[in-house]
Amino acid sequence: MATTTASVSISSNDLQPGNRLSINATSTLMKTGLTTGLELMDMGKGHLTTATAADALIESSALAGDHDSANYFYLCNNATDDTFHILVAINATDVGRLNAGEWMFIPYAQADAGAEINITASGGTCPYEYAIFKSASTLAAATA
Amino acid sequence: MATINANITISSNIMGYPTNINKSMSMKKLGSCHGLEETTGLSNKKFASTDAVVLIAHTEGTAGKANKVYMRNTGSSKAEHFYVALNGSAAAAGTTEAIGKLYGGDWMLMPWEATANASHSITVVPSTAEPMTIEWMIFQE
Repeated sequence: MATTTASVSISSNDLQPGNRLSINATSTLMKTGLTTGLELMDMGKGHLTTATAADALIESSALAGDHDSANYFYLCNNATDDTFHILVAINATDVGRLNAGEWMFIPYAQADAGAEINITASGGTCPYEYAIFKSASTLAAATA
Repeated sequence: MATINANITISSNIMGYPTNINKSMSMKKLGSCHGLEETTGLSNKKFASTDAVVLIAHTEGTAGKANKVYMRNTGSSKAEHFYVALNGSAAAAGTTEAIGKLYGGDWMLMPWEATANASHSITVVPSTAEPMTIEWMIFQE
């Protein structure tokens, strides 16, 4: 069984005066509702050019058996210009904006066939890196 | 201007070789070199039903900015979860744009658009009526 762990630390000495912020969390990522580790991953990097329309970075499974499952998605905007950012959406719903140098990590249920993860660059071309860790993926029937 | 640092480490042996991701960031205002300045503080809430609840209303954030939301299921059960979604109404499941499931110990840190519309409130749905607690914190401009 594979083991995948994700840890985060968030800290600030001056966000709340007199109250130093220190959050630390670690989770071992498991298959949907189970105590067995994830078994699929995909990762890569690219350059996202500015465009009027979003690009689909992660396509949701078309198969109902894969929906509402335990998957995890990581994305980092590796741009260095502070005026460049990436707008992230699930389907047509905007999730949020990643400034240059910022990352995100979320559970991703791929709740239905339309729940793709879309990204749009603003300000200029944004280098990015991503990874997705999945419970499982049902192979689609061959078309030929 | 505050300095808020966040570091992520992901390690996996899913492939036949170790995979490691290590990344640090400083949370900044949108399009700026200046850091985020405001927070709701760290909150937590214990649930004991499977009713959907708007945990973070869109009015708590500012639309079109570089808000961030941290959430964690403080439990340890890998069988139970909080289903997290962007949703206009906790009761209207059909309008949900699901994000994902936070099982025991799972955490997330995501940018939050906080569009001035109820569709960008953050809803959670516990998978069990057994007591389960979620903690969260909003960082914003």
